[in-house]
Amino acid sequence: MTSEKLFEESGLKQITVWARGVYENKEARDVVVALTEAAAQEGKYVQAWENYVDLPDRIYVPVRAYGKISDQEIESRYVYENETPDIVALTEETLVKGVDILAGIKPETVLVVNTKRPAEYLYKFLKKGTENLAKIVTVDANSLAKSIITLSGAEGATDASGIGKGIGAALAAAIVKATGIVRFESLLKVVENKNAAQKAFEKAVVVEVKTLVRAG
Amino acid sequence: MSVPVKEVPFAGTVPSPQKENEGMITGSWRTRRPILDCDKCTDCQICWISCPDSSINLSDDGLTFNLKYCKGCGICLEVCPVGAISLVPELDFED
Repeated sequence: MTSEKLFEESGLKQITVWARGVYENKEARDVVVALTEAAAQEGKYVQAWENYVDLPDRIYVPVRAYGKISDQEIESRYVYENETPDIVALTEETLVKGVDILAGIKPETVLVVNTKRPAEYLYKFLKKGTENLAKIVTVDANSLAKSIITLSGAEGATDASGIGKGIGAALAAAIVKATGIVRFESLLKVVENKNAAQKAFEKAVVVEVKTLVRAG
Repeated sequence: MSVPVKEVPFAGTVPSPQKENEGMITGSWRTRRPILDCDKCTDCQICWISCPDSSINLSDDGLTFNLKYCKGCGICLEVCPVGAISLVPELDFED
């Protein structure tokens, strides 16, 4: 099996969430944990983990959290990184600039960004890999919830603050709205901040990339 | 790694970094960009001393920021006695 074929499992969906080290580390983890927990309750096969290669104990460093959801048993369970994501989410808007967030994306990939700005503006900063991008979803999660800054739950320890207590709940809801990867009712059962999830589900703006025109 | 006592510089001070590591470009960590108000700046250079990444350059025209490595931590803003430095959201700039 070559590395290109590793993820050729039908029905496997890969979620990659980018965040900033320390102060949004928990939020990135919450997005994938909430989505995979909801999917597991629907009887799907799931995995969720964080990338420790990114050295997440440095403030502001771009860090990643990964999730896998599949109808069948996941075979590539020891692969450490999501090499071909189906869903990319950003807990912070500046990550569109200077970070190769769209590396290896599959066709029809959905990008979800926590931002106040319109998708047209963010699209200007996406230089590489946009040919496979189908939708850009913007949601102002910071206005719906507050980022929970804690080291509780890091490195596999128990998360005392609760899954989806901060902006992670809102981002997960925006992902569900754009992709339908799990049922929204399942997600609501998992996250702590149900109010933020509900509002984000209503307010998230889904824009088709083919309707966006590259300026300049 | 041991260094002979004679080779240790006075007070342990070392020159600013002279080499660059292309695997460690920290400019992409920045969420807010420092902007200098040249009219307010008194050229006291406290920010230059305080910058942990040596990302402030002194030049004849005043201070400039090395945005390739600046992480936007905001220490320069905190130490500035006259409030000449402000942090602006990075996405307000297109470059």
